[in-house]
Amino acid sequence: MKQETNNEIDLLLRRLGRSPETSVSAGNGDVDHLDADELSAYAENVLPAAARARYTMHLAECARCRALVVQLSSSAGVVPVAEVAKQSAPSALRKFLASLFSPMVLRYAVPALGLILVAAIGLFVLRPKQNGDGSIAQRTEAPASTNITTNTPDPNSSPAARGYIDQQKQEAAGKPAQSSGPTGNQPAAAARAATGTGSQVDATSRDELAKQEQQQQPRANEAPAPPAPKPTQASDEGKRPADAEARREAPSVQVAAAPSTAKTEDAVKVEDRKAAEIAKARSDADRVQTFGGASAGIVTRSKTQNKDDAEKDKDAGETRTIAGRHFRKKDNAWIDTAYDSSKSITTYTRGSEAYRSLTADEPAIKTIAEKLDGEVIVVWKGRTYRIR
Amino acid sequence: MHQTAVEDDRIKGPVESSRQIQKVLNDGAQRLLARASDNRSLARESLAPRISAAVDKYLLRDDPQISEAEIAKFIDELQADDLCLIIACERGNENAWNDLVERFTTTVRSAARSASSNEDAAEDLAQSIWAELYGLRTRKDGAPASKLAYYSGRGSLAGWLRAVVGQLAVDTFRKQSRLVQTEEDTDLDRLAHDASLGEGQAILAGIPTPEESMSNRFAQADMQQALNTAVQELAAEDRLLVKLYYFDNLRLREAGAVLGVHEATASRRLTRIQTDLRKRVAKILIDERGWTQTETEKSFAEVAQHLDIAQI
Repeated sequence: MKQETNNEIDLLLRRLGRSPETSVSAGNGDVDHLDADELSAYAENVLPAAARARYTMHLAECARCRALVVQLSSSAGVVPVAEVAKQSAPSALRKFLASLFSPMVLRYAVPALGLILVAAIGLFVLRPKQNGDGSIAQRTEAPASTNITTNTPDPNSSPAARGYIDQQKQEAAGKPAQSSGPTGNQPAAAARAATGTGSQVDATSRDELAKQEQQQQPRANEAPAPPAPKPTQASDEGKRPADAEARREAPSVQVAAAPSTAKTEDAVKVEDRKAAEIAKARSDADRVQTFGGASAGIVTRSKTQNKDDAEKDKDAGETRTIAGRHFRKKDNAWIDTAYDSSKSITTYTRGSEAYRSLTADEPAIKTIAEKLDGEVIVVWKGRTYRIR
Repeated sequence: MHQTAVEDDRIKGPVESSRQIQKVLNDGAQRLLARASDNRSLARESLAPRISAAVDKYLLRDDPQISEAEIAKFIDELQADDLCLIIACERGNENAWNDLVERFTTTVRSAARSASSNEDAAEDLAQSIWAELYGLRTRKDGAPASKLAYYSGRGSLAGWLRAVVGQLAVDTFRKQSRLVQTEEDTDLDRLAHDASLGEGQAILAGIPTPEESMSNRFAQADMQQALNTAVQELAAEDRLLVKLYYFDNLRLREAGAVLGVHEATASRRLTRIQTDLRKRVAKILIDERGWTQTETEKSFAEVAQHLDIAQI
């Protein structure tokens, strides 16, 4: 539009230029023309601004003087150096910018840039994949390390933690009573004979702990990190994670070794409480991980941990929602997210009479138990049930 | 207090001022002699009047209150060697005259050739120039009427000599000079212009078409007159560019050289002027001739179309 506008006015001006000019020189009268000095000084552009403006006014009207100035300026070969220099700066910038969009650049550099971009994206996409295991392991490392960090300094300060350790010791003491039997007492007697002090229970407890350590050692030797034992029997499912935790806490227990009572007939209840404690500790740790974000990353992953550990931890991240309840999988057990370890828990075995009567009253629990395999801890109408 | 001081300055101003300027001129002349490679043994006093005349002409005439620093700067920019040579020639220094002739014969001859239609005329012109410079003619007061007295030293001596040649060529050989435009189309245009004026029309009478209505022709004449007015209303610098480009048919490079700007700058300036003129013409037509905006736009397009065809 502007070009057209200028084209129109350009044509009109050309027409006007071909008409005779009514200049001051037309009459050839006693017009005060520029003298030779003024003409040459103007042509050489060496006049002060005000004087130059005065002569410009005359030149705009006087064809005679203008012709002389034109002739002088062309023969003088005056090059507006300053103006050229002024022009060179932006033109250099323009040239540089133009070179960025030159056909050569567009033809070769842009596709090359595109390839680099694709390669970069590919690397970016593949990188998380490679680090995926690591990142999950790192993420799930948080509960374990959190457990350690929370449990280790706490024995003397936190009553809850102390109780937890006591429970572990109880379990450690009770376990041989259940499984080892008399054979487990032989080293205990040897230990008692060696020390000559402490009760039999104490000796047994210590012996059992030592035994557990011995069991753990070969495993540690076999693999870079102590793997969590996989549950082999349904009846052990509740106990196994607790055992693993107990083994992890074994050094702490040893350090904080205190007189403990022997495992008694209500060992199952103690186990339940212990499992509840672990679950709570883990869920707490998960919460820390979820809300803390980077806090999980702060805990550096031990290079000695093996893949089993990572796989186990991967399971821990799985969640399901059934009948309006949310479950998180931990150690092969589906635990209701609303589960409160401080509440009492009732255990039912699938297929048992008690289970049938419960599911008859609460069909939703049956649905949950059917859809989730393995152990399920569900909070239903304010009560907590464990389904095995 | 301050007011009294100002009043005192007014009273003694011209005297003090002239004394100060005189000092600046003398000092400037001294510096000029000092920086000249050959000052021709001139005294400061012989140089000062010439410098004073240049300062009056190029500085004080436009700004009588100009600062002493500006005057000193102006003097320091004068062509020291050229000015000393000319003043020495004027004062009858034969060596200086020989130097002048030796150094500038080629320049004068070249300028004379450019301003003359043939070699003989050029030779005559060159001889006339040397006679004028030497001062063979005498003024009314009996002093030689040498043109050398008019060289200020502001521009180069070569440029000044070319200007002298050009002026003399215009005055003496005006009809034969190449500076006189004798383009055929200009004459034809003048005839058309003269004819059209009688009909109350302007320049566009040269491109009538059979189907063109009278009102349309009047409209075009109005537009051309409005453009003429608009050009006259331009700033002197812009008007000079329009004259150089459209009237003198210079290229942008040549027009830029006259204006002291680069070709690209001249081009940008011309584009701006065209846009400005378009607006001015439209304003004149609407405000003074009672045209509507639509009529103006339409006429612009029609005139441009006719002119385009006429040029083809």
